Amino acid sequence: MTLKKLAVTFALGSMALVTVGATSILAQSHVNSPDPSLGAPSVSSEESHIGNMTGHAGEGKQLYRRYCIGCHGPDGNGEGMNAQWIDPKPRDFTEATFKCRSTPTGTLPTDQDLYDAITRGFVTTNMPSWRPLTPQQRADLVAFVKTWSPRWTKGKAGAPLDIPAETPVTIESILHGRELFQKLECWKCHGPEGHGDGPSALTLTDDKGNPIRPYDFSSGSRFMCGTTNRDLYRIFMTGLDGSPMPSFADVVKPNEAWDLVHFLRTLQPLKTQEADLWMAYRAAHGADLKPIGPDAAPGGQ
Amino acid sequence: MRSRYFTALAVAVLLGSGMLVFAKPPAGSGSITGKVTYTGTPPKMKPIDMSKEPSCAKQHATPVLTENVATGPGNALQWVVVYISAGDQGSTAPSQAVRYDQKGCQYLPHVLPMQVDQGLQIYNDDQTSHNIHPLSKINAEWNKSQPPGSPAIDTKYDKPEFIPVKCNIHPWMHGYFIVLNTSHYAVSGEDGSFDIKGLPPGKYTVTAWQEQYPAQSQEVTISGSEAKTANFVFKVLPY
Amino acid sequence: MFKRFPNRAGRIRKSFARPLVTCALLVMAIVICDYQTASASPTSKVMAIPAFARKYGLPCSACHTAWPELNNFGMVFRDNGYQLMNDRDSPIWQNPSYFPITFRITPNWHRETASNQPIDSIPGGGTGSVLVSHNVTQAGFDLSGMDLWSAGTLFKNISFLLLPSSDPTAVWHFESAWVRVDNIKGSSWLNFKFGRFELDNLVSEKRFLFLSANGGIYQTYHFNVPGSINDFGIGDNQIGIELAGHDTNSYTRYSVALLSSNEGGVNLTNNNLPGGTASSRSYDGYMAFTKAFDLGSWGYQEFQAYAYVGQRPTFYQTSQGVPIVGLGNEPFYRIGFAGQLHFKNIELLPYFMHGHDNAYLGAGVPDSQALPAGAHAPTFNGGFLEGQYFVNPQLVFFGRFEKINVGQQAFDSGNVPGDYGNVTAYSVGYRWYPIMFSRAGLAWHNEYSIVKSIGIVPESGDGTGLPPLLPTNGVWSSSVFIGFDFDF
Repeated sequence: MTLKKLAVTFALGSMALVTVGATSILAQSHVNSPDPSLGAPSVSSEESHIGNMTGHAGEGKQLYRRYCIGCHGPDGNGEGMNAQWIDPKPRDFTEATFKCRSTPTGTLPTDQDLYDAITRGFVTTNMPSWRPLTPQQRADLVAFVKTWSPRWTKGKAGAPLDIPAETPVTIESILHGRELFQKLECWKCHGPEGHGDGPSALTLTDDKGNPIRPYDFSSGSRFMCGTTNRDLYRIFMTGLDGSPMPSFADVVKPNEAWDLVHFLRTLQPLKTQEADLWMAYRAAHGADLKPIGPDAAPGGQ
Repeated sequence: MRSRYFTALAVAVLLGSGMLVFAKPPAGSGSITGKVTYTGTPPKMKPIDMSKEPSCAKQHATPVLTENVATGPGNALQWVVVYISAGDQGSTAPSQAVRYDQKGCQYLPHVLPMQVDQGLQIYNDDQTSHNIHPLSKINAEWNKSQPPGSPAIDTKYDKPEFIPVKCNIHPWMHGYFIVLNTSHYAVSGEDGSFDIKGLPPGKYTVTAWQEQYPAQSQEVTISGSEAKTANFVFKVLPY
Repeated sequence: MFKRFPNRAGRIRKSFARPLVTCALLVMAIVICDYQTASASPTSKVMAIPAFARKYGLPCSACHTAWPELNNFGMVFRDNGYQLMNDRDSPIWQNPSYFPITFRITPNWHRETASNQPIDSIPGGGTGSVLVSHNVTQAGFDLSGMDLWSAGTLFKNISFLLLPSSDPTAVWHFESAWVRVDNIKGSSWLNFKFGRFELDNLVSEKRFLFLSANGGIYQTYHFNVPGSINDFGIGDNQIGIELAGHDTNSYTRYSVALLSSNEGGVNLTNNNLPGGTASSRSYDGYMAFTKAFDLGSWGYQEFQAYAYVGQRPTFYQTSQGVPIVGLGNEPFYRIGFAGQLHFKNIELLPYFMHGHDNAYLGAGVPDSQALPAGAHAPTFNGGFLEGQYFVNPQLVFFGRFEKINVGQQAFDSGNVPGDYGNVTAYSVGYRWYPIMFSRAGLAWHNEYSIVKSIGIVPESGDGTGLPPLLPTNGVWSSSVFIGFDFDF
């Protein structure tokens, strides 16, 4: 009997002790919680604004610990426990350099850009779509991500690129896009057929020196920064900062950019208006087409 | 001790207020000249294979060599930036922009120093597209395509930084933007010599930066229009 | 079907060493099990899978509020067929040495008590011994059952799950085994599952936080009115096919399932397998519809309506008395709703069920015969409210209040009190996860649970498992549970 009472006392006592112990250990454990003092002067003051939603970094910090820390790390530098197994590597938020932006190269993305990236995820990487989180939670995460770099407190996001209405998809547009693909030397990395196998493809590295592959249009996969023609337009006009993909905003006019979009669509094994037009044209005039690549006259056509 | 400290402070304040009033650095005529050399065996610079870019390859009769440890006769070390890292009174950036060329799939010059907020113009003189990608960490990082015949890219940097520059399309292209807080700098030439001019009297820290080896500093005090000499010796390794 | 915690018979065998008593009690227990409805035994847990965490490099907390319970991200992942939909889900993208296997077991110390147990007045039950009501208390170190989990994708949009589960003595069964064709015609609204699987319960008993003998099941998920021969438990995995769908964030979900009327049993005629019943040659249907609403900074609020309509045999085709195939199927249904409400770090899970059995099932007589006098179609209303408080992703406190009221007794005779079979249950505990990363899971689990049942033994009340002497007697059964729950 005494033994039993002892056992019960032990049981209940240990429960209580462990509760207290656990709570106090957790209270001290900063190992797994991002330190707000890093990167930003004040976590709680950082906000994000997406539509009429306001995200709060304080809330975002909790969410970051729950969802993001494994890859992006307790210091936000992309060196989480899992980073070593991941390719491509997780984003280093302390540099505030982001691939998918609506803003010019070298500028900070808008809150909406970051929100869209979290929502969309990055196809063919370990970054999943976080659409299952509520919009408010995603907005909170945006606010917190911005605390990792002082650039956010000192600078403002760039002005979003103005994208004019899409021009009609015509064979002339596609052919001009093809000329641009040659002239702008897209093929040097993406390959003459868009297979991601251009002469420079294997030498490419990202900012951290990690090897990176150019997009292979023949994979038919979604683009990292979206799926629509507008997204495609935005990708090469803003460039993917931190990657070898430059901005063409200074050298491509808006209507030319749409031509390039239309041509790029023909490189994908997708059933699109562009692909249909192009297949028909190639069937009739394929022999007249100069192949893309180094044999074409330098500097154009 | 204490009074000395206050004197120094007063001088500093005076100097500072003077700067504010005149908004112009005191012009000087002192100079620091010297030579940058190396000891040890430098790594062999490798010939660059530009065959993937024939329009560039044909511009070079003999293959261009890599430039990370460029040496000259008499153990001279080229492309070393020597600059005033402390003691400079500061100055506004000159209105004259510095020029950076992409020519023959090389960056000319290999190392380009400039002052914070000074204009920087980047030209593509080649018959091929380049993407100019300065890998800045402190300044905003950007990456722009520059096809042949496009206008110069006009830009500047607002924070001091040593920025590696690369072209992702032509992976052998490497260069440096050296953004400094001072207007007093020089780059060592093929003979390793450098010449920093126009220094007002003062106590300076002179730093020599080389892309592959640790930077070195010396203290130099200039009075009047003195011409001082400061030589730097880098210890190099064959790998 | 296996129970995570030993079934009644097993428990008794463990508790009482003397062979004679053991035999007697075993017989009694088996009789009780057969007579008393709810032999559908709880509960093996389908659960947290570090196999997925390892595959995708996400920490446990990405998919689980507190493992094994899923959060919405985990729910979407599950609804997508264990795919993140990043074009890297197919196993061809995995390192060949990766194998999606997970083990889970919980070494523990637990203490079980039950009041009003019929105990021999003379131990051994010799001459002169009578049954008297007495308390029974047991305590000791123990093991849970073990789950050996494998799940993932066979190909892009073809997923699978295989869960061999063992009791603590390593007797195995297949708790779950299915293949699912996902995103048919590219639509997340069409997913087809085939095999043995968990019903689409919004509040899953397979992935909840409770482990103790009394708290480790939802009483409502296994309840049947005393006397009914229905063995259905909505918490038990069933065997059949399911068509299910969801929108991109799983705020809208549906499930329609067609299931064999044999409580998930395998081998068609399998009444001599644990937990199995004879083949009934009929089918049950289950439907669930779930809808969630976003409440801004509070979180999302999710509601589910469900209905299960089934049949059970009232007699059997036999050979020399051994049942072969069930005949005389009579219907029953369970309908209700469930909720998953979020208030920042607090989660509330309300649940309600109304159950109805045909009078022949209630009376346990073949439907070819006349109903005995006083036999009625039994009904009950059950439900619970569960609350969880997440201090952080590594510490969760939880509690639950559960109540089941019999609405209509199977027999309306004078000696059956109206509250016969009623159940009231309270559970509280916490789980602390000293580590939280993407390779393995470990939780320090403490829980206390107490259940009161009138005239019957509470479901899974570990320790004794015997109904009281009188139908008016209440049995209080309590569990204390302390253990390390780990998952690799």
